[in-house]
Amino acid sequence: MASDSTLMASTRAEWIKFRTVRSSVMGVAVTVLLTIGLGVLITTLVRTHWDQLSPLRVATFDPVSSSLRGSLFAQFAVGVIGTLFITSEYTSGSIRTTLTAVPNRIRLIVSKCIVLFITTLILGEFVCFAAFLIGQRIYLGVVPTASIANGTVLRSVILAGLYLTLLALFAFALGLILRQSAAAISVFVSVLLIVPIIGFFFPQNWQNDFMRFEPSSLGVSMESPFAPSNTFGAWSATFVLLAYVVATLAIAFVLFQRRDAGSNQ
Amino acid sequence: MIKIDHLTKRYSDTLAVDDLDFEVKPGVVTGFLGPNGSGKSTTMRIILGLDHATKGQATVNGTRYAELRDPLREVGALLDAKAVHPGRTARNHLRALAASNQIKKSRVDEVLDFVGISSVANKKVGTYSLGMSQRLGIAGALLGDPGILLFDEPVNGLDPEGIKWIREFFRALANEGRTVFVSSHLMSEMAVSADEIIVIGRGRFITSGSVDDLTKNAEGTVLARASDHGKLAALVVSHHGVVHDASDDGLTIGGLTSDQVGQLAFDAGLTVFELTPQRASLEEVFMDLTAGAVEYGSQKRDPAGG
Ligand SMILES: Nc1ncnc2c1ncn2[C@@H]1O[C@H](COP(=O)(O)OP(=O)(O)OP(=O)(O)O)[C@@H](O)[C@H]1O
Ligand SMILES: [Mg+2]
Repeated sequence: MASDSTLMASTRAEWIKFRTVRSSVMGVAVTVLLTIGLGVLITTLVRTHWDQLSPLRVATFDPVSSSLRGSLFAQFAVGVIGTLFITSEYTSGSIRTTLTAVPNRIRLIVSKCIVLFITTLILGEFVCFAAFLIGQRIYLGVVPTASIANGTVLRSVILAGLYLTLLALFAFALGLILRQSAAAISVFVSVLLIVPIIGFFFPQNWQNDFMRFEPSSLGVSMESPFAPSNTFGAWSATFVLLAYVVATLAIAFVLFQRRDAGSNQ
Repeated sequence: MIKIDHLTKRYSDTLAVDDLDFEVKPGVVTGFLGPNGSGKSTTMRIILGLDHATKGQATVNGTRYAELRDPLREVGALLDAKAVHPGRTARNHLRALAASNQIKKSRVDEVLDFVGISSVANKKVGTYSLGMSQRLGIAGALLGDPGILLFDEPVNGLDPEGIKWIREFFRALANEGRTVFVSSHLMSEMAVSADEIIVIGRGRFITSGSVDDLTKNAEGTVLARASDHGKLAALVVSHHGVVHDASDDGLTIGGLTSDQVGQLAFDAGLTVFELTPQRASLEEVFMDLTAGAVEYGSQKRDPAGG
């Protein structure tokens, strides 16, 4: 097993690699733009239409998750960041150079996961806190607001950032399994968008039982102070998503360990 | 020192490497020669732990590559010059490699200077020509100042000046006591750049030795022009020689020396106009060697697996 100093070295190398390609930099920029930009747009729309909302909508209105909605779009951007971090190594063939420098495959994957986890966690928390705070600013005076001094609200904002981080790792694992950018991104998008649509064709009682397991509904649970009906509570949702990520990473790693990395297929 | 120990590699339906067993010693340039598809790149990938051996193993300095702690400090390799992310600059590519093996940062500029691409080091690698990529690959191989170096078809894409440079460079590395293992499918290339040659065909070991040994053992031919080619040809065959080629210009005779042919002609009362021993060219030697192995290889192929 790798000693600490070598793990540190390979992690530093992966950090250099992460920040020196345009795809990661662009992915970060798009994540910021979508989460904060769409947050501003949505909260502004809510504010301007507030007096036209039905009493029911007003009664169930949640200032926290409504200000964080942009993250449900940004999840695709972090997915691309996570996928390309590994698939670009396969499409360019640089995985061979990478593995010659770090032939211990556990160490390599752990290093990549550390870099991806830390960068997307900082990114996710930054954009979610920013979107929340800006959103509350926009609501101020017209729409009821929430404060992060409230523990439940703070939890929602933190878990919204963590949701993005876990999705980046999930996309990374898909990339490692499929080794192909287009394939991995398609599967990722399908899981987030198509699975819920297919779910609508099932009987209502199935929907109530199973739709809560679907990743984007886990995301909604994680960023809502009060769990919507037929969904998991915030912490349970976090653990379910974490379990998905760990399981997918485990499969990806077993395949990675077994496969030849020398030639592309 | 590289040791290949009864190495076999099978890809689903191809036997790429078939029970190879040899050593590559320090202090000389060792050429790894074989026709296209003979398993040279596969062997090198297994040495580097990129592909898994089906049977047997490869070790460097007695250890499997995957178990080396900072492998770039012991082994430098250039397998595929294009195996670099095209969107990254050469300098950043080398900085990441250096960081991964705890090599000091200043070494990056040293190797960039050495291979002569300092002026384009901040350009994206995707914009490089094959020759520039090749130089970047060499820079990467030298980064950790390793005692063992592997190059897969390194002269591809280099201009004549670059080829001359790389040959002298291999020689210099070997003279410093390093192990230098270079593959090629061209005998002529190996003849000028290698001291020792290992020849494989269809994944199997064929022969090894110094360049001189290989050509010395190779069969030469004799070109003879005489007054009656038909008669001379019959005599040659009856004395266990072979007539490779017969025309009005003369006979190309194998299996006999020029002395023997001259004596045969004299005894039969033929007038000899020309008698020239011809040394087999390196390329012919190589073709002879590998042609034999291809036949041998296909007979040995087991029907169940093939
Ligand atoms: N990943 C792979 N999957 C299936 N077959 C492979 C794979 N890699 C190599 N082969 C096969 O193994 C054999 C040896 O290939 P290899 O690339 O090692 O030859 P080579 O000696 O390097 O040839 P060249 O001179 O063309 O570079 C070939 O028949 C090739 O098709
Ligand atoms: Mg090859």
